[in-house]
Amino acid sequence: MRDVYILGVGATRCGRFPDKGAYILGREAAWAAIEDAGIHPRKIEIAFCGHVYQGMGVGQRTLKEIGLVGQPVVNVEGACGSGTLSFWEAWRSIAYGQYDVALALGVENLSRILSGGPLPLEEDDVEVALGMGMPALYAMRAQRYMEEYGVTNEQLAKIVVKSRKHAALNPIAQYRKETTVEEVLNDPMIADPLTRSQCCPIGDAAAAAVLCSGELVSKLAKKTPIKVLGCAAQSGKYTGPDRLVCDPSENVARTASMAYEMAGLGPEDMDLAEVHDAFSVAEPLVTEALGFCEKGAGIRLIEEERTSLGGDIVVNPSGGLLSRGHPIGATGLLQTAEIVWHLRGEAGRRQVEGAKVGIIETMGGAQPAMDGITCVVSILGK
Amino acid sequence: MSENSNEHIFRPDLFTTDDNGTVRLVAGHCKNCGYYTFPKYLACPKCFSDDIEDKPLSPTGKLHAYTLVRRSMPQFPVPYGLALVDFPEGVRVMAQFDAQYYERLRTGMEMGVTVGPVRKGEGGEEIKSYKFYPVEG
Repeated sequence: MRDVYILGVGATRCGRFPDKGAYILGREAAWAAIEDAGIHPRKIEIAFCGHVYQGMGVGQRTLKEIGLVGQPVVNVEGACGSGTLSFWEAWRSIAYGQYDVALALGVENLSRILSGGPLPLEEDDVEVALGMGMPALYAMRAQRYMEEYGVTNEQLAKIVVKSRKHAALNPIAQYRKETTVEEVLNDPMIADPLTRSQCCPIGDAAAAAVLCSGELVSKLAKKTPIKVLGCAAQSGKYTGPDRLVCDPSENVARTASMAYEMAGLGPEDMDLAEVHDAFSVAEPLVTEALGFCEKGAGIRLIEEERTSLGGDIVVNPSGGLLSRGHPIGATGLLQTAEIVWHLRGEAGRRQVEGAKVGIIETMGGAQPAMDGITCVVSILGK
Repeated sequence: MSENSNEHIFRPDLFTTDDNGTVRLVAGHCKNCGYYTFPKYLACPKCFSDDIEDKPLSPTGKLHAYTLVRRSMPQFPVPYGLALVDFPEGVRVMAQFDAQYYERLRTGMEMGVTVGPVRKGEGGEEIKSYKFYPVEG
C-alpha cells in the first residue's frame, strides 16, 4: 500500500441554487481543486463523482466542462456517505498502485427536486412505505438517548447553537446566523423531540480533492501536501434487540478502528473532526462511536464546550451538516476540504490552532434493520 | 386477513389474523438455525441457509423507542406515531401507532399488533396495514 497525499481542494458555497445543475456546481469545485493543487488538469488519470440524486453520467457531464474527457470516471453512491466514498475510491486507486493522480468529486443539487421536508427514501423498504423518514428514525434515537442518560431538550438544542456559531465564521456555510437554545426549541417540531433546526437543511453544493501518490508529491505539490494517514469504508450490519438504537453505531466504530489502525493513531490524537451531524442527536452519538468519550457521555463534550472552537477536540468547525449544510453527495468532500484548510492554516476566523491531525466521518442512510448503509472514516495529517 | 376485498391493504403477506381477531406479524424463520428476520429475507443473515419459512411472531413485544411524526411525505396524514418494538423471537420491528396513544406510551410497555390506516393512495384512498397499539391501560 502506497502513501497518498491531497494536493488541493475546492468547494462551492452551500445554499439553494435551483438554477445551477450538478454539472455547474461540480465544474466549479473541480476546477477550484485543480487550481488549488497547482497541477495541469491532464495529470488527472481517474475521477470519482459521489452523488445520490443527480442522474446518469453526472461525473462525465461535469468533467467535460473543464476538458477532462477520455479518462475513466466512476459515479459513486453511498447515501450520505457518497462524497467520502468517492474520496475512499480515489485514495485506494492510488494506494494500491493502479493510478498516480486522481480526482475525488462530490456533487448534489437537492433544491431542484425538493422544496423541503424529508429526503425521498426507497419505498421498497417496508418501514419507508409505512412512513419512516430520516428525521423520524433519529427522533427515536433521541427519545431513547434522553431516557437512558437523562439528556434534555436544552442540551440537544445547544448542539445547534454551537453549530451556528461555527458556521457564522465559515464563508461557504448555508446557515450563518447565530441562534439560541430558546429559538431552537421554539422551531416547529418535525418528529418529537427534534425541531426543524435540529435537522440538516435541504441544499446544494459541490466539493473536490486532487490526490497523488507519495512518489509524486515532492514534484507536484505547490502548497503543504496533506497526507492520508488512514482511510476505511464499511457497510452496516444487521441490528436487533441486542443493541439500543441510541448505542454508538457499531458501523462507525468498526470503520473508525480500521482507520485508526492504518494511521497508527487513536481518538486522543485527533485535533479536530468533521462528523455526520445530520440531526442534533447524531453528533454526540458519533463522538461516542469515534472513541472521543464513553457511551452516553457524548452530550457532556457539548456541555463542557470541549467540542467547540477553543476546546480540545473541535467537532464540526465548519458548522457541520446542521449549519454548513448537507448537499448529500458533496458533504464528504466538503468535510475533507474543511480538515485540509485547518491543517494548512487556511481556515481563517474559525482556524483550530495548531491543528495537525483531523478525522472525517460520514455514515450514510439508515434503516431500522441495518446500522447505516455506508460508513467512511478518513484521517488526515500534516 | 381482510374480509373486505375492496380494502387496500399494504403487504398483507406480512401479517395474519387468527379466529380470535389477534393480529400477528409474519416473520422469516430460518429452519436451519432458528434465526428470525422481519420481513423475510432470501438467505439467513446468521447461517446463510436459504431454507426460510414464514412464521408468525408472538402477538406482543416490548416498546423500545418511539416518536410522533408531525411533518412527512404528502401521502402520510400527520401526526402519526412511529415505534420500534422488540419481539421475544429477537426481532425489532418498526410500524406506526395512532397518534392518540402517544402521551400514554412508556418505554418497555407491551405493544400488540392491529390493522389500521397507514397512508393515502394515489387517488386519496385509505391504505391499511399492520400497526402497533399499547396493550396495557
